[in-house]
Amino acid sequence: MKKKVLATLLATAMVVSCLAGCGKSGNDAAGSPATDSPATDEAAPATDDAAQAEDETAPAADASGSPVDTLIANTTGTVTMRVWASEEDQDFTNTLLDNFKAAYPDVTFDITLGAESESTAKDTVLTDIEAAADVYAFADDQINELVQAGALQEVAAHYTYDVAAENAGGAVEAATVDGKLYAYPMTADNGYFMFYDSSVFTADDVKSLEKMIEVADAAGKKIAMDISNGWYIYSFFQGAGLELSLNADGMTNTCTWNAAGGTDVAQAIIDLTASNVFVDMGDEDMATQIAEGNVVACVNGTWRAETAQEAWGDNYAACKLPTFNAGGKDCQMSSYSGYKLVGVNPHSANLGWAMLLAEFLTNEEAQAARFETRGLGPANITAASSDAVQSNPAIAALAAQAAYATPQRVGGNFWSPAETLGQILASGNPDGTDLQTLLDTTVEGITAPVE
Amino acid sequence: MKKAIKSIIRHFILLFLAVVWLIPILWLFVTSFSGYKGINTSHFFPETWTLDNYAQLFLRSDSIVQYNRWFLNTLVIAIFSCLISTILVLMVSYTMSKLRFTGRKGLMSFSIILNMFPGVLSMIAIYFILKTIGLTNSHLGMIIVYSAGAGLGYLICKGFMDTISISLSEAARLEGASEAKIFWSVIIPLSKPIIVYTVINAFLAPWGDFVFAKLMLNSGVATDWTVAIGLFNMLGKSMINKYFSVFCAGGVIIAIPISILFVIMQKCYVEGITGGSVKG
Amino acid sequence: MKKALDAIGNYFKDFGAAFVKGDIGVKLSAVLMGAGYFARKQIINGIIMCLVEVLFIVLCIGYAAPNLAKFGTLGTVQFEQVFDPLTMTSTVNDYDNSFLILLNSIIALFIIFVFVIFYISNMKAVYRLQQKQENGEHINTFREDVRTMFNEKFHITLLTLPAIGIIIMNILPILVLIAVAFTNYDQQHMPPNALFTWVGWSNFKNLFTSSVTVTFGYSFKKVLVWTLEWAVLATFTTFIGGILLAKFINDKKTKLPKFWRTLFIVAIAVPQFVTLLLVRNFFADSGIVNTFCNSIGVTDFLKNIGLVPANLSYIPFLTNPGWAKVMIVIINIWIGIPYQMLVATGVLMNIPEDQIESARIDGANPMQIFIKITMPYVLFVTGPSLITDFVKNINNFNVIYLLTQDVFVTSDQLLANSNAKEVDLLVTWLFRLTNEYYNYKMASVIGIIVFIICAAFTLVTFTRTIKGDKEEEFQ
Repeated sequence: MKKKVLATLLATAMVVSCLAGCGKSGNDAAGSPATDSPATDEAAPATDDAAQAEDETAPAADASGSPVDTLIANTTGTVTMRVWASEEDQDFTNTLLDNFKAAYPDVTFDITLGAESESTAKDTVLTDIEAAADVYAFADDQINELVQAGALQEVAAHYTYDVAAENAGGAVEAATVDGKLYAYPMTADNGYFMFYDSSVFTADDVKSLEKMIEVADAAGKKIAMDISNGWYIYSFFQGAGLELSLNADGMTNTCTWNAAGGTDVAQAIIDLTASNVFVDMGDEDMATQIAEGNVVACVNGTWRAETAQEAWGDNYAACKLPTFNAGGKDCQMSSYSGYKLVGVNPHSANLGWAMLLAEFLTNEEAQAARFETRGLGPANITAASSDAVQSNPAIAALAAQAAYATPQRVGGNFWSPAETLGQILASGNPDGTDLQTLLDTTVEGITAPVE
Repeated sequence: MKKAIKSIIRHFILLFLAVVWLIPILWLFVTSFSGYKGINTSHFFPETWTLDNYAQLFLRSDSIVQYNRWFLNTLVIAIFSCLISTILVLMVSYTMSKLRFTGRKGLMSFSIILNMFPGVLSMIAIYFILKTIGLTNSHLGMIIVYSAGAGLGYLICKGFMDTISISLSEAARLEGASEAKIFWSVIIPLSKPIIVYTVINAFLAPWGDFVFAKLMLNSGVATDWTVAIGLFNMLGKSMINKYFSVFCAGGVIIAIPISILFVIMQKCYVEGITGGSVKG
Repeated sequence: MKKALDAIGNYFKDFGAAFVKGDIGVKLSAVLMGAGYFARKQIINGIIMCLVEVLFIVLCIGYAAPNLAKFGTLGTVQFEQVFDPLTMTSTVNDYDNSFLILLNSIIALFIIFVFVIFYISNMKAVYRLQQKQENGEHINTFREDVRTMFNEKFHITLLTLPAIGIIIMNILPILVLIAVAFTNYDQQHMPPNALFTWVGWSNFKNLFTSSVTVTFGYSFKKVLVWTLEWAVLATFTTFIGGILLAKFINDKKTKLPKFWRTLFIVAIAVPQFVTLLLVRNFFADSGIVNTFCNSIGVTDFLKNIGLVPANLSYIPFLTNPGWAKVMIVIINIWIGIPYQMLVATGVLMNIPEDQIESARIDGANPMQIFIKITMPYVLFVTGPSLITDFVKNINNFNVIYLLTQDVFVTSDQLLANSNAKEVDLLVTWLFRLTNEYYNYKMASVIGIIVFIICAAFTLVTFTRTIKGDKEEEFQ
């Protein structure tokens, strides 16, 4: 019998030794920056030329110098950081990272750039916050969930530029939750508006959706919008004056889409799509259909500007969203104003450097350069006021739409029910459900409590 | 005459079926030579032909397409995980098939039930277990993910070993060979088909898995990825219209070695799987 | 069942007997595990046992105790962080991470469980040694002990490594997830920032009740029904199709069988996720198949007979619930048949020719032979693997997820309210719940249910194979 024991012993010993490993590494998850060792003397004086013009905006600096100087002085060894930017932004971000390293020549950086689309950053970050990048870009619709999960470091202080003052009000609002600023605005172009082919529509045609449908029908072409998507269908209901907002608890929603007038909007969507000219189409399909020449106008964002420009050439045009007729009344379609933001992970081992890097990636220069190389609309007031930015059709259209746009504040229960509502309406309510019942069920889903 | 017509019809049906089966593959193949990077929705064959997609894969690595690295990563992971899982499967199958000990049947029922737990669910727990050992974002971690639990998939292999006559091992035992020796020099050589089958299956897993890989290799750094994550990533919303034909080229490149492997090993594969499933 | 209970009873009885009847060495072993071996001069064994005991005690104090102390509450100290703008650093309190507490506690409990078994076995082993000594039997040297590991105890040597892998990759995760099903671990309670705690059976209740706002019960029923329908359809279509194709290709009248087989194999050589993503774009609403159908008038024809809604200008292959279900099954046939053909090829080769010959002499036509002889034989041979396929299809994540993710939008509002879709299998639903909605508690509950369903199916079929003596039949 004792050989059996010996064997079990072998097995246990292996399991045990392996688990012992887990025990040790489990506790040191929260990082603490390298503040323990005193300043290395050679590093401190050299910072003067590197620190440039950063001191004015820094918060109450004590006698020993600005926080940035202190940080540089306290930094020993290599600063390792990870940054996430979207796939399209890789090359551009790499040049910014090089500039960042050059701006602090006395610190050794080891910065890795990873690809993570702004639209899906939340999914990856929330799965394991501790493993997420130190600095990452994300779309402003995710800020609420990210703050809830503790994945964003509050921008409690700024060091190289005044984040709240230098960026447009809407962008700052989008980066703010409960009165606290949680992210650095990077672009102000993540909302949606109307693209159109000016050889088909005149500037007058695009004022009303009904007129557009008429014109497109005559031309045998289509107008596309991703109706079966909560983000877009909001446009109709908000435009008709119905309400959708996030409650004070930050999780549940208030929604009045089923109130008086709601059924008119629903009927309007059914009627608009019944023509088969105004069609429900996903973003990827839209891109191919624009290129193929079937779609001559679409509700979409700046990320499709390139496709539209290639397909329509000089006839490429953009404008604010049109009006639509609900219950005999013309309503201006509303929209979500969208921003791309840069956030700092509170679990970063080099919090100070991560914050400085986030500022560097979003300062005026970076935003202006981002517009030049990538065509993305700046959130920075000075950068946005340049002639080049002002004359960009897509950005001008966004600016025109801005008056009817609202920042996106909505709880997680909104998306599935709204998406399904769009799907049902765009397919003409095939089951013939009473529209009021349809909206009631949707609202129940949207406003469902969160335990 | 009638026979000839029958024969023609028969081969015509086969041809038709083969075409149905190969159309998507053909589309993959021709699209990989397309000069247009997005999805072509109006023509089956590309309008312009080019080798540029392949050039982009192999010669022009950027921060999103690192095909050479992906291929190497996946190959390393596949080779090691295939070695380890084949060894583990053989160990368990031999034990369950040829050795008799108390608790054997209980253990077998238990392991079969255990294997039923949906893998996508235990994923998150496995992630955190490996994270506490510090193995996420490493290829070693991926090898463990793909091979450590392999012992549970022993059923088909055990079924095959059941068909190997026990008199062979009896004879060896009479000559004084140890159980270890019998395992090594009697059973293993006779199990060639099932070993090939196990090896192929284990080797293929890392090439096709993107769910686990995406969770484990979450640094966002393209050089860490496997082929599967890289290709999957190319079909993301913001990428698909610039990378669809590159994706097709990537798909063709993986398919070539696997097809060759399959065609050469076909006989063993068939013998292995049927030898195994005869006994289930 | 009774047998199992008896076995457990005996196990403890033996332990009691060992302790009562053992001499001083055995009794001492209850405290110092190596004592019994030292008494029999098995020094190395004794030292190893003592080391294990010491290791266990160290683990208990250093690892198990701190975690298990918090197991009841899963932690009470919430994460707090204070940022100092002057030093640009933050201080973090000594917070509790509920998930790590849960994970570590379960690992700790598992280790304790293994140790207790080990401890009891050790007592019995040393008592057995004592008996051997009393009877004057030979007591093994350490070298001899090692040698038995490659003979009588070879199964232990072989199983140790696989078992460790299975414990880490399967058993521990399953235990963790079973535990999670009884907590409120979801997006509102996500470590490290928030704590979660035990909630008893309430998640299970949610799954089986439907109210206005909680539609999990409704969705669960719908998804379960489709999961079973899908598993049956997917398994049988590919199975039958595979046999027919194999028979067709292997027929003597077919020229170049190897060539044909290779053509079909090429279709499976491309990794599944590549073909599936490809096919999804192939059948997209504005994809190439739709362009083709439109230009030859198929779309209009389908509209006329009412299979395609009138307000669509395309065939909603993967976007309409009915169409999508049919397409998924068809695409699965496309993927599955070549595999099944390979299997069936092997089986058909082994068919007893004499039976077919005699049937032919009796005047049976090929159809009769196929139904009366071939099919029963194939079913008999591949029956068990058919069930494995069935279970695999219940958990067939790839096909459904890759074909419908980001494409299919449900038009059932009640399903939407619990984040399910008409085409979802239980696994894809729970994947979405965890991956997009972080609803780990409900996903765990659903996972357990899937597990129970699969386990039931498997047990019914495999106990027959395992318990029966058929195992030895071919040896």
